[in-house]
Amino acid sequence: MITIVDYGMGNLGSILNMFKRIGAGARISANPLDLEGAEKILLPGVGAFDGAMERINSGGFREVLDRKALVERIPVLGICLGMQLLTRSSEEGRIAGLGWISAETRRFPQSSGLKFPHMGWNEVNPSRASPLTAGLASGARFYFVHSFYVRVDHEEDSILQAHYGVTFDAAVEHGNIFGAQFHPEKSHRFGMQLLSNFARL
Amino acid sequence: MSDPYLSHAPTSLKVCSRCIYDERTASISFDAQGVCIYCRQIDRLTEEYGTGTAAGKAKLDAIIQEIKRAGAGRRYDCVIGVSGGTDSSYMVYLAREWGLRPLAVHYDNTWNTAISTQNIRKVLSALNVDLYTHVVDNKESDDIFRAFFSAGVAEIDAATDLALAETLYRAASKHGVKYVLEGHSFITEGITPIGRNYFDGKYIQSIHRRFGKRPMKTYPLMTFGRFLWWSCGAQIRKIRPFWYIPYSKEDARRFLETRFGWQYYGGHHLENRMTAFFHGIYAPQKFQSDFRNNTLSALVRTGRMSRSAALIEYASPPQVEEELLAYFKKRLGLSDMEYERIMRLPPKSWRDYPTYKRRFERLRPLFYLLAKRSLVPMSFYLKYCLPAGP
Amino acid sequence: MLRTRIIPALLLRNESLVKTRRFGRFTYVGDPCNTVRIFNELEVDELVFLDITATREGRAPNLALLTDIANECFMPLGYGGGIRRFEDAKAILRLGFEKIILNSYALENPQFIAQLAEHFGSQAVIVSIDVKRTIFGRNKVYTRAGTLNTSRDPIEWAQEAEWLGAGEILLTSMDREGTWEGFDLELVRSVAGSVNIPVIAHGGAGSVADLGRVVKQAFASAVAIGSMVVFQKKGMGVLINFPDPAEIAKAMEPDASA
Repeated sequence: MITIVDYGMGNLGSILNMFKRIGAGARISANPLDLEGAEKILLPGVGAFDGAMERINSGGFREVLDRKALVERIPVLGICLGMQLLTRSSEEGRIAGLGWISAETRRFPQSSGLKFPHMGWNEVNPSRASPLTAGLASGARFYFVHSFYVRVDHEEDSILQAHYGVTFDAAVEHGNIFGAQFHPEKSHRFGMQLLSNFARL
Repeated sequence: MSDPYLSHAPTSLKVCSRCIYDERTASISFDAQGVCIYCRQIDRLTEEYGTGTAAGKAKLDAIIQEIKRAGAGRRYDCVIGVSGGTDSSYMVYLAREWGLRPLAVHYDNTWNTAISTQNIRKVLSALNVDLYTHVVDNKESDDIFRAFFSAGVAEIDAATDLALAETLYRAASKHGVKYVLEGHSFITEGITPIGRNYFDGKYIQSIHRRFGKRPMKTYPLMTFGRFLWWSCGAQIRKIRPFWYIPYSKEDARRFLETRFGWQYYGGHHLENRMTAFFHGIYAPQKFQSDFRNNTLSALVRTGRMSRSAALIEYASPPQVEEELLAYFKKRLGLSDMEYERIMRLPPKSWRDYPTYKRRFERLRPLFYLLAKRSLVPMSFYLKYCLPAGP
Repeated sequence: MLRTRIIPALLLRNESLVKTRRFGRFTYVGDPCNTVRIFNELEVDELVFLDITATREGRAPNLALLTDIANECFMPLGYGGGIRRFEDAKAILRLGFEKIILNSYALENPQFIAQLAEHFGSQAVIVSIDVKRTIFGRNKVYTRAGTLNTSRDPIEWAQEAEWLGAGEILLTSMDREGTWEGFDLELVRSVAGSVNIPVIAHGGAGSVADLGRVVKQAFASAVAIGSMVVFQKKGMGVLINFPDPAEIAKAMEPDASA
């Protein structure tokens, strides 16, 4: 059973919908107490970094999330802003991130010609194999919407990369911590493959 | 009185010695050799139409010439109903090969799948054929389906079949076309016994009046009057080329795949979700009716499948798209409980509701003449105008 | 490589899908959920639903229907039509839609754009601009499903919308809509050239070549298509379809001479 954390930001209905379609057990929870019994956690997120961290810190989620992720080491998947929250900090905000992955979230360089946010379907390339990305065909593409990007400190934590002006990490993995910058719940069969893999971990 | 639709244990069933229809099949009887009446019907039709013989081909050639003559000076000389399926797709191809100028006609009951629309698109664009579509309002369509579901009868998809027939006539009439080409083949499909596949305009109207909630505005209902007008008044003829020339569904499929990138939707009727529900869930579960015996029997009769292989396949349950049932309930606004309740109600039959059946039987001589002149299909005459057994 | 988005724009009328011509007569196209299923199967990039009678009839969005639609969709979804309240926008986004499309109300109350953008992010707010050419050849913005001439200039309104926080502009040529005659390249170019946010060109697509043209020559960032995805051909019957991705990719390739 995957617990999707509802801290007030994110398109939870769509995520739950895709889990239902692929036949994976999932539920949404806005109550930190529910997280105690979680077997796997999905951390969604759409919006601003500081806003999200504030809600997580003050909503009673922080303590139990840290424990589940760092002590009990259950599988955690952060999606879109949720992946950026896994890093130690973001140029978008001033509050520190969860710091579960050794990485930083940076603003895309505003090079001429490119419009921001990075929005639309883009191709990803595997940096290395990972259970999260198993079965993804070459030329797999996902739907992205973001103005900030993640770059991991250690190359081995990167599992998928994409390019938009700069090359950035589209998906990351460090032990039990996973992240996807794109929206798997809005990426057709590619997203279904990824979420199936997460469900089967 | 025991319900004739309830299934018996398979081992005690009498099965035709030639095909695999068994005694559960409506109006069936067996002759001295144990061959069923449907096999014999097909034998007779084959002889009358010269199916697969030079005589049959000559008959068809003459008809094609006549179609061309009648359609001279008009944009189209025939109409062909398309669904994205094998028969209709191949028929469009053949029509072009024969030098005809067809208008493709589609009735959209709003439950199509991508396979059907893509198939239609690919074949028609490659052959440069125009498409006429009638789309029923989705809420009306769902209301009619719900009415049939609530009525407890087998023919939940009847409204679609009849609407296509009416749409074909309307399209033909609009463009001054006198000929409808149909891809039906009694060799590959057999003649469907009337038991569980009855439909006519009055039947649909009766069910809708009893159980429907929305007025029929966009649904093209073929009343008896309209039927007579189309066949006797406008004199639009129905031609079934595969009654005259040999036709193999498997060969047609392979050809369509190679030539047009057409996709086979599998035996699970994935071209339309209502049809898929009907064949995969509704008919087997509520009526113990498995229509696969139609096509399987046809394969056996033509020697393309052994009788034992057909019996084995028939014995295993039909496959169904996952969450098709969830979609069905969602479209028709049925809760899980409501769905179960209705499914458990005793099955009803078309005989329980007003239909045109007796009228068709009374007018048998008229329809025989019309059938001889191809103004109504001969299979219509056989199915509707002859008294249906118990 | 970021693909150019080709977005089917579906028009809702009560609970059915329809297609209009020049914002006038309509044809029944089908069931919203089933059509979304088909587009899902065809793996289209994104979908936009526009309720064309909501504002005129003073109706709020039909959340039950939108929930049904969102449940069928595994790609990004936008919705527009009669959105006047913050709560409606919030509810729609929570249902599983990515983008809110504002038209009539944005002109009545431009601050609403800013309010939504601030709360949900600019990427969730699209301002839809319907344009008609007057007999003097000037472009004017119309609202209320194309029935009210606001006398505003589309370029000027697009710039104001951008300034207020809109993430994208959906630019529709009322004259070209449903005609298959090609986009109004001049209109698209003039608006796309005057804002920094993506402009989605809409109205007039007749072929895959048109899609390439409006992107390469008029600088549209994305393209919305209506008639092309619901009819077999111009003037012919309804058939839900989507152009071949390989053909689209080819049409988007830079021209040899450029």
